[in-house]
Amino acid sequence: MQPVTDLNCPTQYTSLSPTALIWQDVLAQAMTGELMAAMNYTSLSEICDDPAEVADALEHAAGERGHAAAFAAEGRKIGVDVPNNVNAKHWKRLREAFLRCISERDFIACLIVQEIMLESFAVASYARVGKVAPGSLGKVFAAIAAEEEEHIDHAMEILRNERASDPQRFDDKLYRLHLEVMTTLAEMLARDCRTGHCEVCHGSCVKPALPDVSLSAAELRGASLHQYLKTLDKLGLPGEVTLTWVTQLPV
Amino acid sequence: MGHSAASVAELDFALVGHQENWRAAADVLAVLRGPERTPLPDDEIRDILPWIPPRAVCHVEIASTTGTKARGCYIDSFIAPDRLEDAYMRDNIARVREAAAYAIKDGAKIVSLGGFSSILIEGNFNQLPERHGTVFTTGNTLTVSFIVQGIRKMCALQDVDLRRSSLLIVGATGDLGSGCARCLAPGVRRILLHARNPERLRKLAAELAADGAEVEIATDLRHFSAAAGVVICAASLASSSLLLGRIAPHAIICDAGYPKNLSPGAALPGARVFFGGLGQVTAGLHFTPDFHGILNRHPFPDVVHGCLLEGMALALERRFEPFSQGRGFITPERVQEIEALAARHGIYLAPLYNADGPVEEVLDCHAAAMM
Repeated sequence: MQPVTDLNCPTQYTSLSPTALIWQDVLAQAMTGELMAAMNYTSLSEICDDPAEVADALEHAAGERGHAAAFAAEGRKIGVDVPNNVNAKHWKRLREAFLRCISERDFIACLIVQEIMLESFAVASYARVGKVAPGSLGKVFAAIAAEEEEHIDHAMEILRNERASDPQRFDDKLYRLHLEVMTTLAEMLARDCRTGHCEVCHGSCVKPALPDVSLSAAELRGASLHQYLKTLDKLGLPGEVTLTWVTQLPV
Repeated sequence: MGHSAASVAELDFALVGHQENWRAAADVLAVLRGPERTPLPDDEIRDILPWIPPRAVCHVEIASTTGTKARGCYIDSFIAPDRLEDAYMRDNIARVREAAAYAIKDGAKIVSLGGFSSILIEGNFNQLPERHGTVFTTGNTLTVSFIVQGIRKMCALQDVDLRRSSLLIVGATGDLGSGCARCLAPGVRRILLHARNPERLRKLAAELAADGAEVEIATDLRHFSAAAGVVICAASLASSSLLLGRIAPHAIICDAGYPKNLSPGAALPGARVFFGGLGQVTAGLHFTPDFHGILNRHPFPDVVHGCLLEGMALALERRFEPFSQGRGFITPERVQEIEALAARHGIYLAPLYNADGPVEEVLDCHAAAMM
């Protein structure tokens, strides 16, 4: 698979730290997510009617590309090229789900997928990585987590207003998207990749090696689902209902 | 979509609790996951549970023998069963606070703080979130009532004269322990108070002695001068060091802890153990979704911990007041008051049982065999 954009300068290093290849895979997943977010915001700009919204979406797209570039730069610092693959099976499914919302010109559904679901996972995962990654790598993850959280705040206001106008319709839509998108995200963050290689990690699955850098797939999944539930709480959905949704996700 | 996400109704009460062990936690998640899905493996549950924020798990409706009903919800703080210890105190307080905030947001008029949750807030009511029209009760007064009733009933069943017995209370300076001490001290030969804090022990002993009780205190169970014939375990935590070395053969032991103070493997030869502090609803108790036997894991129907029943009983009575607050304020008069209030709505002491099953049937069989 060809990367959609080549943000990497070819690098040649003679010695790598023992954990560099683990960070390479972590960065690859993050970078792929950022590039997909950039593509999603660009697509979103095409269905916006308001010029301000168009500008906003394009600005977000540029911001996500900036995050991807920052991850690539961090890879170079530790001596690895950071690949990306937005056509990898899980990411492709997420992109297709978003594009269905685009084809229906459903702005609210687009926000739900990108800001509530994908960004919840990004914010929670990056924040955890930010706590344990060494030096500037950790700082970059933490800083991007904070920026992504601001995105969510911006979208929350729009979504809260939308929900206030027709809670049942909003919640039905959210549940439909939850089944599609969150199922894929849950599979991505399952303890191991039971359905085969994710097509992003450079070799074998990185998950079993995560404890070597004080992380675990279970922790990343737990933190992400926690963030997702808290975000749904802020939207006003009943906690007992969203808890049921989350407990029914695949493991 | 399975459940309607959009409707939120006003609540009379909320019950805040947590699961006592991993099996119970697994069963809760299995119900939420639904019968058509494979239950989560145990290791997955241990991974997931600590990340679940406190939230309502089900709706609860209780009926009174007077014909009235009260509606509420059960909020699980999702404190992991293996984190019920001092090392996690800060996190656990945060979880109870979050659960309390959830109850306030849902508009519950009264909130019962069950099990560990109640212990955390006993001396820390100022740690509760700002509350608008929501009152909190530890529920400990009704729990004390059921412990005391249970002790009297078990003594009667076993033909033990409580007035001639030495009563040992483990965890005596806690809210439950001190409440039981005040209720039972006048009716026993000697009361032995055990706790970790010697200053609090001395204070409680002085209070009871002033009322004429013969009192001994110790921070180490081995230091009591006499063996106890009746024991109440009301410590806040299970303890592997709780060996109960100073108990009489065939002692009556009420394990009133949540989680249980006595481990299932505790070597207590000849002791007659029962679980205390439990009440039974006789006019109807409904969970939606159906958590019967999951949230109340007892061998009898509609049995619930007294601490949770107190909030429900007060809701049925339309007395939305913080009946039990703080630590060490439970008096025999207040115990009688909540006992009478609960009884008005058909809430009584639950049949006695222990880890092996019902106690009373076994005793009846033994009695019949001896006749």
